Amino acid sequence: MITCEEFFAEFADYLENQVSPEVRQELDLHLSQCRVCHVLYDSSRKTIKIVSESNSFELPQKVFDPIIDRVMSKLRTDRR
Amino acid sequence: MADTVSMGFRGKVGVKQELDPLAVFQEDLGFIPNLLRAQSALPYLIAAQAKLEEALCLRDGAISRIRKERILLSVAADRQDNYCIALGTEVLSSLGEREAQIDSLLSDYRNASLSAPDLGLLEFCLKLSRNGPSVRRQDIEELRVQGFGDETIVEAVAITALALYRCTLSVALGPEPDFKPQSLPPRKVPAPRDGTHAAVGSDGQRNTKGRGPYVAAPYLSPNTFPPFAVVQQTHGFIPNFFRAQTLRPDLLQAELDAVGSILLPEDVLTRVQKESILLVVSAANLNSYCVAVHCNMLRGLGLSAEEADQIAVDHHQSHLSKADMALLDFAVKLGTRFSEFSPEDTAKLQALGFTEEQILESAAVTALNNFANTVQMGLGIEPDFDVPFAFEKSSANPPAAAPTLMPREGIVHLVATFQDADSELVAQAQGGDLEAFEQLVRRHTQLIYRALIAILGDAADAQDAMQDTLLSAFKHIGGFQGRSKFSTWLVSIARNAALQRLRERRNTESLDPMDSENDCNFRPRQIATWQENPEQSHSKAEIRRLVERGLLELAPKYRIVVILRDIEQLSTEDVARQLGLSVPAVKTRLLRGRLMLREWLSPHLTASSKGAA
Repeated sequence: MITCEEFFAEFADYLENQVSPEVRQELDLHLSQCRVCHVLYDSSRKTIKIVSESNSFELPQKVFDPIIDRVMSKLRTDRR
Repeated sequence: MADTVSMGFRGKVGVKQELDPLAVFQEDLGFIPNLLRAQSALPYLIAAQAKLEEALCLRDGAISRIRKERILLSVAADRQDNYCIALGTEVLSSLGEREAQIDSLLSDYRNASLSAPDLGLLEFCLKLSRNGPSVRRQDIEELRVQGFGDETIVEAVAITALALYRCTLSVALGPEPDFKPQSLPPRKVPAPRDGTHAAVGSDGQRNTKGRGPYVAAPYLSPNTFPPFAVVQQTHGFIPNFFRAQTLRPDLLQAELDAVGSILLPEDVLTRVQKESILLVVSAANLNSYCVAVHCNMLRGLGLSAEEADQIAVDHHQSHLSKADMALLDFAVKLGTRFSEFSPEDTAKLQALGFTEEQILESAAVTALNNFANTVQMGLGIEPDFDVPFAFEKSSANPPAAAPTLMPREGIVHLVATFQDADSELVAQAQGGDLEAFEQLVRRHTQLIYRALIAILGDAADAQDAMQDTLLSAFKHIGGFQGRSKFSTWLVSIARNAALQRLRERRNTESLDPMDSENDCNFRPRQIATWQENPEQSHSKAEIRRLVERGLLELAPKYRIVVILRDIEQLSTEDVARQLGLSVPAVKTRLLRGRLMLREWLSPHLTASSKGAA
């Protein structure tokens, strides 16, 4: 079985589902037998899901409307 | 064998007999081929070729030596390369091949006394050497039906690649034949057209993912195969090109040695010049995989994504010097239109001030490129990165009756007419239409804001910078040429506005891609199991607050990558373009950013935590 270090070297691509079937097989086997790497994988996957669905830093319309209005108004004035 | 030999443009050159790599040939062949002697000004090129020859050809492998020599001779005959024909004939003859058999291989291999599997293997190699992009998984399946295993297939592909390596060098260096050329029997097989893509049909590309590689590629650990550890360290990742050949670590080792010897030294040609050669010749060979790799390598060497794309699509429209453009013209002609190549092409470079060593090295880089293109196409190796959109658009559907070289003007035309969803509004805004500009801005408000807050780390600052960004975008929109997506361009404007603000407040934080932080050393520490469904034990607002606080804890260079990739859901390639980074650099930062965020979130979301944010 591969070591944790070897698992970690492939981890970025594994998370992105970008490993070949042969490599995936090795990584899956490691995960099934290593609790630490399993926790790392499970929590990283959940992190990505949570972040993706969080709508973080979404600027509310009531904030961006005035900014855009100000800019457009300046551009229209400059044109005249 | 004479101590000095006439070698085309290199003239009379004294040969250093003490060079070790040459001893390999002396021992195996009983002589040192002039093709190797012709490279004696740069001994590391000889060493690189010697390693390839030793691993691929000079010893029996999955394919016997005599069969390999038949392949080498047949490819040379197909390309009518008189130097390689003379060499191959002599070697085959010394291995006991009958004269009549050699004549058949030279005139029409279909009449040679070959078993059906041997004929099948030879035909596969000839197809690969003539028209690499036309090789399909089906061709590999047919070899398997004839009883060939994956190791044999890898070796056959690599031998074909070696044949093209030799032929490319032979065209460039014009060595004297080692033996008196025999009077060749008339060739009955139709001569191929130049280039490896002469007859690519409309379905002739394998740009889409999910179809390769064609052979088994067992996991090979950097711990047990140290060259992979070196690649991991120097490239930040192990390219699929190498992963696809793990059935044969000995070949891999030789290839990695050759790549290291030929591409890494900087004292003759620069890395940028070499990567540019690899890029333009791969593009001319319509090799999407290698185009993506070398675009990324150039970005890693400091070129902008646009400039790298431009070199791939048409280097004459790039910002390269006139001399470098001529160098690339030389390489493209040598690599893909070899029958037109003449000593005049070399003389042109000499007139521009290139030294003999530089010309020799550019020939070796071109030869190595054709080797790599051939291996990639023969094994159907999947891209590590997205192919630059401009190149993909231009090469995905080459004309059915493709000319010998993709017409550059055709590619330029296709790029010029590339449209993204914003292009109509962009054109109107460029004409001064303020309503069109406002629509564009509203379409991308969140992307701009997120890029700004990622760099500035402060909501009020980001909102102020938003105004600067929009004004700057309108001011400069006339200069947007449509070579990238409009959204990519907008992010670069936002990035500049944010960096300007940082400079104004004398913040030392930097997004400089050259930051020399060792990304590999970060290791996770929190190893408590997470809740099964963290979303169920926290409200959406709680989760969002947690994520935002966690993201603000990250350094900007990690934060922006995570925000663009995971929140804006851009592809890794698009993130790389927007930030002017290479894809491997983005991957490294993304992993580290995600892991640090995971670390920060862990205490709030583990099975034992209570759930309040």
